[in-house]
Amino acid sequence: MIQAKSPKQRRKDSTRAEIVKPKSGPRLAKSVKRLQQQAPLLPFQGLSELSVRLRQLTGRDVIDLNRVMEFAQFMYKQRELAVRGPNYEVDDFGFDPQWTESFISVFMVLYRDYWRVETTGVENVPATGRALLVSNHAGVLPWDGTMIKTAVFAEHSHPRHVRALVASLYMGMPMLSWFLRRTGQTVGHPDDTRRLLERDELVLVFPEGVRGSGKSFKDRYQLRRFGRGGFVATAIRSGAPIIPVSVVGSEEIYPMVADLAPVAKFFGLPYFPITPFWPWLGPLGMIPLPSKWHIRFHSPIHVEEHPPEAADDNNLVMALSDQVRDTIQQGIYDNLKLRRGVFL
Amino acid sequence: MSLQRPNRVLITGVSNPLGAEVARRLVPQVPYLFGCDVKDPISALEEMDFVHADTRHAAIGKLVRQLNVDTIVHLAVMVDSPRDERSIHETDVIGMMNVLAGCSAPSGRVRRLIVKSSQAIYGAGPGDPSFFSEEMTNVERQASSVTRDLLDMEQLVTEFALRNESSKVSVLRLGFRVSEDTTLARYLSLPIVPTFAGFDPRLQLLHEDDAAEAIVRAVMGGHAGIFNVAAGGVVLLSQAIAIMGGSPAPILPPYGRWIGRLALRALTRVEVQAHLADVIAFGSVMDCSRLEAEFGWKPAHSSRAVMDGLARGKVLEVIEAPSPPQEYELQVYLQRRRRDGRNGQRTASMLEAHK
Repeated sequence: MIQAKSPKQRRKDSTRAEIVKPKSGPRLAKSVKRLQQQAPLLPFQGLSELSVRLRQLTGRDVIDLNRVMEFAQFMYKQRELAVRGPNYEVDDFGFDPQWTESFISVFMVLYRDYWRVETTGVENVPATGRALLVSNHAGVLPWDGTMIKTAVFAEHSHPRHVRALVASLYMGMPMLSWFLRRTGQTVGHPDDTRRLLERDELVLVFPEGVRGSGKSFKDRYQLRRFGRGGFVATAIRSGAPIIPVSVVGSEEIYPMVADLAPVAKFFGLPYFPITPFWPWLGPLGMIPLPSKWHIRFHSPIHVEEHPPEAADDNNLVMALSDQVRDTIQQGIYDNLKLRRGVFL
Repeated sequence: MSLQRPNRVLITGVSNPLGAEVARRLVPQVPYLFGCDVKDPISALEEMDFVHADTRHAAIGKLVRQLNVDTIVHLAVMVDSPRDERSIHETDVIGMMNVLAGCSAPSGRVRRLIVKSSQAIYGAGPGDPSFFSEEMTNVERQASSVTRDLLDMEQLVTEFALRNESSKVSVLRLGFRVSEDTTLARYLSLPIVPTFAGFDPRLQLLHEDDAAEAIVRAVMGGHAGIFNVAAGGVVLLSQAIAIMGGSPAPILPPYGRWIGRLALRALTRVEVQAHLADVIAFGSVMDCSRLEAEFGWKPAHSSRAVMDGLARGKVLEVIEAPSPPQEYELQVYLQRRRRDGRNGQRTASMLEAHK
């Protein structure tokens, strides 16, 4: 920290000034220098003036200045990240909150403009303390996880980071594993779930796993088996309420018409999707379709009322697992009824 | 039995920096301290009796019985060594067998056994949990020979502990250290550090002082069981490289660990062992809650502090400067005189023998 010194002290501490050679080359005029300093702000001034003009001309907001400012904020945050060097802390799982938050504006564009996500019941997510979010899993790539994370961070009155559990397969992939760890995800291991819940985190699990995300288009919105109810047992042991989450819209982002199992086996993947666009269009085929999404957070199922020993009671665990599954399925049907069309 | 304090302590592998530090800390706390190693000790301790002995030979068992020790600190375990797999196996597994044979002799008085193990026993992989508890060793993973050797070694120790319930056996799985010229330290100190493309794992480290302190506490406390010993918190690999002032170069292929190791050796002449290559790709973090609960102590330096220390170059300097050979000779002479003075009648014959 820089401490203010008295002039006397400053004179005492100061050493003789170094003689610095003046810069060679042409000297810039003061007006040019001022312009250089102001240059980063000029595009914003120009844009705001343009937006005012366009509003006067057309009567509506053609350029949304909020979006412009979000973009500026994103760039500013990236610069801040570059400046901090190695002087930051990650938690024991490798989660870097500042880094994650710098990307929130990118995901907000997807959330708000691309998939136009409508989120209901976000108040069911507790502002503090542990909870286990359980959601249906769909779409070939785990975009539903990112959207649930964005929903809780953006819509909740007390923004929180959701820590999703990922299949170990993704943790072995270059780039993806790095990105997932850094943004707070961890391996879908019961031990990790317990540890995260004991740290009073919000944990998101997809009990369907790859069976859910790799189902074909004709089976859409039909939930797969919820594992063996392991998530319920972990929630009971950790004393965390379960919050079922229904996601509608994620099934249509990649309509998977077929699964090339031999190719998947060759690459060590759980499935190799064939969609109308992938792999025919190459990387363009990986762009998800802009379906309309609904995310609904249901009211919590208070499994923490059971004593920790109840986790060994298979009857109870399977009954609770089915209850969670039915809640999610019902939420999906309700939201599907509300939906006017896939892309509307 | 647990209240009994260690009386006659033997440290195997006392000539490595960790052994020297443990010996230095134990000297004021125990009445009789013996040390053995193949190499000359790096620091001269007057109060410690040093003997050249190799744990790979059965003679070590004889030494244990003859010295009548009640506590053995087995530090002659090679994990991070440029030696070939064969000799590492000999030292780790056969050495442990010989020491245990010495302990389990019918007339043996060994009551405490402290064995140095390593975090390398867990290996590292994409599907592993974020924290390794003591029981999460993976027998199926046979990727690294060091991991396999350590598993074998701990198996022997566990069997010994089951057969001899009167002895307190503690196994300390020490975290990765970056002092005293370890492979990890040399790797991280490179100006341009080749990393596996697309991976930025968490590293957990252990300060040299904390490692020595944990071993000393295990000797004095007599805690039985297996304990993970590692610093709190984690450092990302990229962070560690940046702290060291280097820059990461993600050029090693993400698949095929052995290609990466070959490339690394060709590019930088740092030979990274198989288990360490996995750690550099996937990271390995241990859960030290059992240590905290049983010892009532946890390592003082966090992983970040260890890394900062390495960057400042302070951890790198050896705890005590290596003494020149003549000083070692002098110490040996002084020790002999002291011993002879203790049972005086032999002095004359000893002097006779040395003429």
